[in-house]
Amino acid sequence: MPGSPSALLYVFLALPILYLLGFVGFPIVYNLMMSVQEVNLGNITEFIRPFVGLDNYRTVIADESFQKVLVNTLLFVGCNVLAQVAIGLAVALFFAQDFPGAGFMRGLLLCSWMLPALVVGALWKWIFATEYGVANYVLSALHLIGSPIHWLSDPAVALTSVTLANIWFGMPFSMILIAAALTAIPKEHYEAASLDGAGSTARFWYITLPALKPALLAVACLVTIYTMRAFDLIFAMTQGGPLDASNVLPLLSYQFSFKQFDFGTGSAMGSFAFLIVFGVALLYVRTLKQETAS
Amino acid sequence: MIYGGIKAFNESQSEYRIDPRIVPGPQMDSELIKAIASGSVPDLVTLDNPVVASFSAQGTLTDLTERVGKSAVVKPDVYFKGPWASGLWKQRIFAVPRDANTLALCYNADMFKVKGLDPDKPPKTWTELLDAAKALKDPAKNVYGFGFSAVQAEEGVFQFLPFLHQAGGAVDKLDTPEATEALEFWAGMVKDGVASRDVINQRQYEVTNTFMAGNAAMVMCGPWELPRLQKEAKFEWRLALLPVKPGKDIAASALGGYDWVVPKGAKQADGAFRFIEFMSDPKILNEGWKTGRLAPRTDVTVTDPLWPQAYGIYRKQLESARARGPHPQWPEISRAIQIAMQEAVTGTKPAATALADAARKIKPILAKTPL
Repeated sequence: MPGSPSALLYVFLALPILYLLGFVGFPIVYNLMMSVQEVNLGNITEFIRPFVGLDNYRTVIADESFQKVLVNTLLFVGCNVLAQVAIGLAVALFFAQDFPGAGFMRGLLLCSWMLPALVVGALWKWIFATEYGVANYVLSALHLIGSPIHWLSDPAVALTSVTLANIWFGMPFSMILIAAALTAIPKEHYEAASLDGAGSTARFWYITLPALKPALLAVACLVTIYTMRAFDLIFAMTQGGPLDASNVLPLLSYQFSFKQFDFGTGSAMGSFAFLIVFGVALLYVRTLKQETAS
Repeated sequence: MIYGGIKAFNESQSEYRIDPRIVPGPQMDSELIKAIASGSVPDLVTLDNPVVASFSAQGTLTDLTERVGKSAVVKPDVYFKGPWASGLWKQRIFAVPRDANTLALCYNADMFKVKGLDPDKPPKTWTELLDAAKALKDPAKNVYGFGFSAVQAEEGVFQFLPFLHQAGGAVDKLDTPEATEALEFWAGMVKDGVASRDVINQRQYEVTNTFMAGNAAMVMCGPWELPRLQKEAKFEWRLALLPVKPGKDIAASALGGYDWVVPKGAKQADGAFRFIEFMSDPKILNEGWKTGRLAPRTDVTVTDPLWPQAYGIYRKQLESARARGPHPQWPEISRAIQIAMQEAVTGTKPAATALADAARKIKPILAKTPL
């Protein structure tokens, strides 16, 4: 940086740091603090509460529903990331073709992403209803299924159902980010490749995909972070049931804190969710650094 | 009832003014917790009655005992026992019931006629209920005989408790044959296809939706659904008392409703109590029925009520309605029951095992504070 740093510079530096400390740092520290305390409705206003060490964490790890929900969360997030990036990429490539209404329809697709998650959840609950739902109607009309699928009431299927709904809900967002990255690839590369005799597959493998790599990684990280926070959609569809089959960490943490008034345990669960997101964020920052270094 | 009451109260005096804020039911607890945690509480809140004990036992509500003692309107002995008990903690009064509700059997009289059943003779026992449900179900038309909510939430427990009590079971005795019979009766209906497997995921209003859409011939239904039924159901619907278990003949239903509470630290506790008194006036409570709310007081009889047949049934059913708790850890007890319900209904575990597991979870809670 040329010249000596002026006082104003420190002010500009202090503002974001204070903001981060106040609005990001404090909640994290406060949550960690609550996770090692016994917190109930009676002492929630106080800062000094009975210290219980790692008891809350022990309770959480021993809790059957937590173990199940942790696995659910990893599956839910993993499938969402893979599917949203893959489908998002495919759809973005499709709309990058030159045909009438391409841009308009791509914009239209974003509508679903703009709907409130609770509305989307209610919609999918309807689609997945066993008797009068569209999903079973279409599948049985096409003779793909013999008997109706209990999308949301069968513990073996419920997680798949909410995952499908969330992929539909989140995919347009990935798609639009990937589409933006696509437009940044210079057209000349494709022209030159075509002249050299590269087919569409070769062009995709050797030009599009390498050029998109940083964008795809960024999208994957963002989708991870967004789906780790999934709450309202599942809340509207199944409330995490049946038997926590479709429950994820944020919802379980909410249920412990705000339905059972067991804030310490709820916070300990929040810490686990935070750890996962934090890990992904670190990975993201590292990949970005490597990307710029190379 | 609430809006009319607030308007009338604000016009009746100039000392206090009520500024209402609407919070959706499911968010009520978390909003109040946030208010308590941040130290700026509203002066008056309505809470779902089973959670009141959680708040009062932890000392987050204003003790209203003295104010009730001096009140000319809020007199404990005129209230139904269940609703009044929900506001008590260690003989102190922390809440005044605002309204009461309970469950009854709602049935589609047109379907009864089509299937050759007499709509004037709704099922009175579990056996009759099952027989009627079997006769009414029509898989070709997507019609189930019976509908209820077994959702993993307090609502599901609210709908299960009537059966538990009718069988002679109790929340503190879940590992008994009586409790098992109740849960097996529920789970059996799903297994036999008399009730939809989706009951596991249906909230109460969704159960009513299936009824109104003609997908369920009989459902468990609360009076708050009456305005909706009136407007949207395109067939003749009627109500009946919940059937009893043959040989036991125990009339039972669940008690629901909201309580007025004044959070601790409220700036206008006296004004809040004035409004509670205003709203507890039989004249105001009388209006509640128009939106499907029963009065929590025994000295209120709605003359010439809307939906007179339904009113008679609910009013009668209220007499056998039992409060949930009051217990400060009711939500934890409830969760154990929810899991047992879902295990049995999905067939993950036999009813007896599921209930034994629930009883094991509930035991230490009740050892600390009995019901």
